[in-house]
Amino acid sequence: MGKFGSCNFPCTAMLSFALFWSLPLQAEMVTLNESEMSEIDGAGIGLVLDNFTFSHGTDAPDANGNQARIFRITGIKSTDGQDVDITVNHLYIAGADSTYGQNLTPVNLGRLLHPWRIDVVDGNTIGVRDKSVLEIAAPAMLSAAEGYDCLGGSAAAGSGTCSSRPATESWIGERADMGMQMNVAVGDDRSANLNIHAKSAVIDGSYLRLWGDDARQQMAGQFKLNFYSPELTINACTQDGSECGSRITMSDFVLQLAIGNELQPVFFDVDGTGNFVLEVDAIAAPAPGQIAANGLREGSDTATWDFYEAYYTNPEYRSNLRIGNFGVGDRDFGSARIEGMLIQHLEIRTKDLAP
Amino acid sequence: MIRLTCCSATRFCLLFMALLPALAYSEMSPLGDDALADVSGQGGIYLSGDISINEMGGPVQNNYFGRCDEADKKCGARFAYRLKQDGGWMVLDEIRGMFAFEGLTLRVRSVDSGFGGDGALFDRDVIELGLPNVVRFSDVQFKIASSSTPRPTDPGFQQTDIFAVEMQGDVIMQGNLLVFPDGTP
Repeated sequence: MGKFGSCNFPCTAMLSFALFWSLPLQAEMVTLNESEMSEIDGAGIGLVLDNFTFSHGTDAPDANGNQARIFRITGIKSTDGQDVDITVNHLYIAGADSTYGQNLTPVNLGRLLHPWRIDVVDGNTIGVRDKSVLEIAAPAMLSAAEGYDCLGGSAAAGSGTCSSRPATESWIGERADMGMQMNVAVGDDRSANLNIHAKSAVIDGSYLRLWGDDARQQMAGQFKLNFYSPELTINACTQDGSECGSRITMSDFVLQLAIGNELQPVFFDVDGTGNFVLEVDAIAAPAPGQIAANGLREGSDTATWDFYEAYYTNPEYRSNLRIGNFGVGDRDFGSARIEGMLIQHLEIRTKDLAP
Repeated sequence: MIRLTCCSATRFCLLFMALLPALAYSEMSPLGDDALADVSGQGGIYLSGDISINEMGGPVQNNYFGRCDEADKKCGARFAYRLKQDGGWMVLDEIRGMFAFEGLTLRVRSVDSGFGGDGALFDRDVIELGLPNVVRFSDVQFKIASSSTPRPTDPGFQQTDIFAVEMQGDVIMQGNLLVFPDGTP
């Protein structure tokens, strides 16, 4: 102690410095307050299936009547009370050029730069006010300058708006061949095999958004399905596959289905008797006098008029179906289009037919 | 002379003390992104096994649920969820069966090439779940239904079975599931 007591000024300065130097160590551990915490946000999850193949089905029974593989959907009853049994002979998701599921090769689903996403998004950025929205989304659509032709006409960037790329000689691509072969039995009456195949299919830009609606105390949602395929075919074959009927071929098939939007979300419910209810509410009608008798903006309440104008002209709220060419066997029926369908009110309620 | 020596020793002690916290501080310095990128863990996990759900029956035994060999009882698991306050229930019912797999892998993979040119642009680590090529389903079944009450033993129970799915045999599931953070934080 006596020796410390005899320390001169530089020693004292050094001691003070040592004490001061230790202070920043404590400052490292400061707690965050509420407003700072609310600024912190995690990123969503990106998912990519790399070199993916899926295949399952039902095998023919062996000599003892045992089946190695079974894939069956049951529990459905016909109106006259008979059991309906859907046997899935083959369900596959595989790479391009699978020759209707006979030659399964791997495919990528989602790109590292444009993956499948599961995320909680700020509702204010997508039109759902002051809500956190759970979003499950397929790979995004891109601008026409950097995307790829959704129908696979070109594998060059800038040819379309899809982010998933078609297969080329050097890359397996992100577009899957998918298909299903099944047959339906009502009672003992079993139908022929029904085959549905989609070549090089893309569902870019599809999403499911879910949130809670305060007023109805119910889950609300918004569903968008984009489905593009250069060839979608349907045909029927005998159960042993030896003979097939004419193939219905829909080339350049485009489906853009929108069920629910931020103004009219889709609601899911089960009613008191245990039946499933899916509902899209009608948009609120304007109050009397808000829209002029002639329907023009002049003379109407402009904010109300603009709201309905925006609702009726927004292409995002509308569903489209386009078929480049509809063919049966060797006959072509040309193109078919259903465009601009707007769901103004929808209520689907299941009904139990069992006696 | 002695006094001077003492002071030198004290000075040395104090200098040492002054540096000690500095040493401690340097221990706590954060690693930069580049330094972190050089840190890697061990290979990963290889999993084989099977998962069986209510193969013989569930733990609840009453007048509705029982063992699978009791013909008049239900033995599968039941999962009910409600989408509206005071509304009905969506049900995943009679879930049972066994999934057996060999070679499910879990590891961290560094992606900086491949993927049709995306890998080089991506240049990050991902969690890779390697699918086991073949998953053997043994008597796997479940039913989608909607119901007025969560439990079948509740008063006023009414249920509509929408459809049931049954799967058996080898299901081909090849590939890798890559998981990574994405989106705007």
